[in-house]
Amino acid sequence: MIIRTADLVVEIPNIDSLVSYSAQYKCEGYETPDIIVKEALFRPHKFPMLSYDDMVYTESGFLFYRDLLRFDGLMLHSSAVMLDGRAYLFSGDSGAGKSTHTRLWQRVFGDRAVVFNDDKPALRRIDGRWYAYGTPWCGKDHINQNVGRVPLCGICFLKKAKENKIVRLEGFDAVRRLLPQTIYRLRLESNLDLVLSHLEKLAAEVPIFEFFNLPIEESALLSYETMKNAAKES
Amino acid sequence: MKIKEGFVLRQVASRWVVLPVGAASVNFNGMVTLNDAGVLLWRTLEKGAEREALADALLAEYDVTREQALSDVDEFIKSLDKVNCIEE
Repeated sequence: MIIRTADLVVEIPNIDSLVSYSAQYKCEGYETPDIIVKEALFRPHKFPMLSYDDMVYTESGFLFYRDLLRFDGLMLHSSAVMLDGRAYLFSGDSGAGKSTHTRLWQRVFGDRAVVFNDDKPALRRIDGRWYAYGTPWCGKDHINQNVGRVPLCGICFLKKAKENKIVRLEGFDAVRRLLPQTIYRLRLESNLDLVLSHLEKLAAEVPIFEFFNLPIEESALLSYETMKNAAKES
Repeated sequence: MKIKEGFVLRQVASRWVVLPVGAASVNFNGMVTLNDAGVLLWRTLEKGAEREALADALLAEYDVTREQALSDVDEFIKSLDKVNCIEE
C-alpha cells in the first residue's frame, strides 16, 4: 500500500491492521516512494510481550520514523492538537497526562481544537520552518486526522502537579527533554547524528515549555496563551 | 579500563553528552552529560587507561593536586560505572 504522510510517499506492507489505520493516508495512483517500510525488517523476537498487530504497529512506526530522519524530520512522542491552523504538541513520559490535556483543549475550545495524533506525530523542517503532521501511527485510541502540513507553534512537556506553573526550556534543557521522547536508540551513528542535529534546531527555533499542571480547564487556557504568545515573539 | 563499544561522545546545544548506539542502546536511558574535565577523561579512556594515567591527564591540563585529581577520577569512574559504559 502506498500512503502520503509528512509530505512523503511511503510504501507500507499490506498487513490488515496497518492498512486499516492508514486508510486516510492512502495515495491515489502510484508514485515512487521516498520511504519503503519493509516487513522483512520487523523483529518480532524483540517484542515477545506484544500481540502481532501491536508488534507491526511498533516496528512499522520505528522504520518509518527512522527513515524520516533523512528528510529533516523526526517523531515526537506526544498528543498533537491543531487550533486555528497551528499545531501544539504535548509531550512527556507515559502517564504524564498528554491525552488528558488535549482533551481539555477540546472541552475549552470545542470544534476549533482538532486532536490529530495522540501518540507519534511527525515533525519536519522545511525551508527553515517546522511543521507537524498526522501519521497512521497515532496511538491505541486511533485518534487520527490527516490534517496535512500544520505549522508548529510550540511544544510543551507535561508534569502532574498540585499547582499550575509553566516555564520556558531553552537550548540544552529542551534537547534533554526532547531526546527520550523521540527515536534515539539507533544502530548507526550517522542516524544518531541526524537526531541530535534535528533536536538542536528544533530547540533553537520552536518555543518549548515545561508545564507542571493540574487537569483542569484553566490549564488548557494557560498552555494555549503561553505557547501562542511565545510564537508571536519569535 | 576503557570505554565499552557502542558509546559515543557528542556535542549538542553547546554541551557534551555520551550516548549509546547499536546494542549498547538497549539498556541505556537518556544521556550522560560531561564537563570539559569529563571530556578529557573520556577521550583518555577511549584509548584505554588506568586510574593513575587518568589522573596524569587531569594534572597535565588543570592546576590541581594529585590527591584531588585521583578523587575526581574516582568520582568520574563511579558515575560511568553506574550507567555501565566502561569495562576492564
